[in-house]
Amino acid sequence: MRFAPVLHSEWIKIRTLRSLLGTLLALSAVTTAFSALAGVSDTSEPEFDPLYTAFSGIIPGQIAAVSFGAMAVSSEFHGGGLRLSLAAVPQRGRWFAAKLTAVTVPTVAVALVTASAALLAARAGLGSAADGLGTGEQVRGVVGCAVYLTLMALFAAGLTALLRSGVATLSVLIPFILVVSFVIGDATGGATDFLPDKAGQVVLYHRHDGALGPWTGLAVTALWTAAALLAGAWRLRRRDA
Amino acid sequence: MTSIDVQALTKEYGTRRAVDDLTFTVRPGRVTGFLGPNGAGKSTTMRLVLGLDRPTSGTATVGGRPYATLHEPLRHVGALLDAHAAHGARTGRDHLRTLAVSNRIAARRVDEVLEETGIASAARRRVRTYSLGMRQRLGIAAALLGDPGVIMLDEPSNGLDPEGIIWIRELLRRLAAEGRTVLVSSHLMNETASFADHLVVLGRGRLLADTPMREFIDARVRPSVRIRTTDATALKSVLAAHGHDAVEHEDGYWSVHHARVDDIGRLVSAAGVPILELSAREGTLEQAYLDLTATEAEFTAQPQEA
Repeated sequence: MRFAPVLHSEWIKIRTLRSLLGTLLALSAVTTAFSALAGVSDTSEPEFDPLYTAFSGIIPGQIAAVSFGAMAVSSEFHGGGLRLSLAAVPQRGRWFAAKLTAVTVPTVAVALVTASAALLAARAGLGSAADGLGTGEQVRGVVGCAVYLTLMALFAAGLTALLRSGVATLSVLIPFILVVSFVIGDATGGATDFLPDKAGQVVLYHRHDGALGPWTGLAVTALWTAAALLAGAWRLRRRDA
Repeated sequence: MTSIDVQALTKEYGTRRAVDDLTFTVRPGRVTGFLGPNGAGKSTTMRLVLGLDRPTSGTATVGGRPYATLHEPLRHVGALLDAHAAHGARTGRDHLRTLAVSNRIAARRVDEVLEETGIASAARRRVRTYSLGMRQRLGIAAALLGDPGVIMLDEPSNGLDPEGIIWIRELLRRLAAEGRTVLVSSHLMNETASFADHLVVLGRGRLLADTPMREFIDARVRPSVRIRTTDATALKSVLAAHGHDAVEHEDGYWSVHHARVDDIGRLVSAAGVPILELSAREGTLEQAYLDLTATEAEFTAQPQEA
């Protein structure tokens, strides 16, 4: 079977579920709103990082990205829906690749627009506190933010295919993201630097000292995502539908 | 020729054999009823044919090829496995579009099958607002989408209203008359009897019968004759004289088992017994089926699901 019709079909599936479109809208709205709020908060703390402040909306916003990835896959898992999909496209690897492409493209697009909007909104509040940010750095932040959100959405998609449940995936990932970000917090160094969200967020910092740089951090997140996707694909290929 | 060929098919889940060394062929041009109690392996067999589950051993092919190797399979095989497979938040039409697009089936087919299954007026409503009967129709619409030569329906009359049951009966007859291969599972005997030409019967994953329906019934249920008379004594004696045993029923008629109406009619008429009513009682599929599965059924005295 050709890939393009399968991809088209998967794209229609995403387009025709309002909850999925709502999640993308939430991703955009939440990220921008929280970044704008962060922009008008106190900038005198020693820990203050203008770039990270501008993108801090992705901390709550990524939950929407993760939900989008999880729900796009989990929508296949109720009432024997997967059987219908795989009866139409028996090449499971191809089907999964089409599904992931249909998740990736809108996520990248929405995340790029969102990251740009978040940066602008935050800078409006930050004023002179953001003067130290160079153009290249800001572009890196926007692109990095979009890549990070997309990788997290795909990470959730892979995990959902592995666990065969969106609820299971979200109840693992959301506490994980919140615990790592808020409880372990800014404590750097050690293994937590290599967790998918911590590593990927390095790209959002103006100054960051740790084992990982902006792009190596994203590469670590990409490895986590690849592992989740491979595990999901393996389960999908091996198991009875 | 597009038939479904099942060869020595076995599927184990853990230690339980859901399908046990099954061999049969479903041929085109007739409706094959797929019978068996719940858990007999009907749905599992269908999933194995569709390549959704992997067999422990044996093969299942459609038109000589494994399902997974079919190019754009919906154009060859249409299946209804579960009426709840459509996502509740999608409209019926969008649900069919996703399937049509993946197999490059023309968009007009979506509207055609919506018309054909009588749900065109609900096509733009979300599936979660559909009744079970409408979901069944949507599932059947999905099966017909690619105008396939092979059609497999798992319990298609579940939840259909009386008009729907008549509709599906006529649909199945027509599909078979068009030369398609039609396999329909059911545990409703009267329903199956109304559309099937041929039967494949499973019990505990094993093949119990693979015969034309008429032969299946005739081999298991002897016909009987129903008589009403004003002179019971004369009737009894003339029947007894010819070795027939008449049983009286509460509402005033007699049945003569293992007898044909042609013989009994001549006998009583020649003896001058006054007859108010004389009719043949053909064996029903239900009787034949229960006779066959009495020893085999996993759950004996299984109630009929409405």
